Amino acid sequence: MKLTEFMTTKIEYIDPDATVYDVVERMVDRRIRSLVVRSPNEKDGHGVITARDVVFKVLAKGIDPSQMRADELASKPLFCIDEEASLVDALEVMEQHNVARIFVCQGGHIAGVVAMMDIMWAVLILRARGGHVFR
Amino acid sequence: MSFGKFFSRGRKEQQVTERMADHIDLLCEACAIFHQCLVSEDRRLARKVPDMEREADVIRREIVSTIYAGAFLPYLRPDLCRFVSLVDEVFDLLQETANIFVYRTVPESLKGECIRVALLNLRMCELLRITYGAMLEGADLKEKKLGLRIYEKKIDDIKYGLLRDMMEIEVDNFWQGRLLGEFIDNLTGISDKIEDASDHLDVLNVSMR
Repeated sequence: MKLTEFMTTKIEYIDPDATVYDVVERMVDRRIRSLVVRSPNEKDGHGVITARDVVFKVLAKGIDPSQMRADELASKPLFCIDEEASLVDALEVMEQHNVARIFVCQGGHIAGVVAMMDIMWAVLILRARGGHVFR
Repeated sequence: MSFGKFFSRGRKEQQVTERMADHIDLLCEACAIFHQCLVSEDRRLARKVPDMEREADVIRREIVSTIYAGAFLPYLRPDLCRFVSLVDEVFDLLQETANIFVYRTVPESLKGECIRVALLNLRMCELLRITYGAMLEGADLKEKKLGLRIYEKKIDDIKYGLLRDMMEIEVDNFWQGRLLGEFIDNLTGISDKIEDASDHLDVLNVSMR
């Protein structure tokens, strides 16, 4: 089973000067748990903000989300994996860097994102298929 | 008790179970062709789906006739026929989707996600076929049903994004908009029908205990 079959291809981007409140609003509107923060300078690479970051690094510390910029919260660099990589490769990168999602990249472009839940689903599907290999 | 073992001695029962497998195999083939047709944008491929649906209708009639000609115990017959009808409903929806695709181009901004849904529909059909095989062997269907539910959830998530993106597309006239809406509805509704069919396989499995 290819990683691309289970990744989410809809990636939501936000500008670095947006506030964390904008980030939360977008997460709620789009029912997503992470956003890619665009970098003004491509060499720096994009960053990522997850719901976990918002909760632990902003809300739990009593910081006003409307007073904090997205690029101040974003984690860098993004962890990328080739789209031909397997589920096991993806899991290894997640474990090695202790991250819950990695981005599937193709020639410097983000093609999708794979989260822990996607990995769990993929493994359950593989079990259900009982090793049957189709086209 | 294994469904397959229980009935394997009867020639009619054997015939029915084999044709039911053919019916699902044909559905997998039709889904694969439709996926290919979306990827390649080759509308000639979309025209093959209605031909396959007609072939599936022939198989369905044959199965129902054989069942009511004496295959299986009477209490099982309605459930078997219901399962075949549910698979046929998947065919109908796939055919409607393919027919719309012949007349309505999918906007570039929706194409990628539509292809993903078509591929997931194909994977669901394949898993339905595996589940059917497992039912004949009397295996536990719990894991297989969970797999199907996961696929269905994945498609539901994509559907939400597709509907949101669709509303931002400008259309030339009412009919272009309506056809696009129906295309998305049908394409994302196929998984619900496959799930209904898989639920009915469970009913058949339980009724054998």
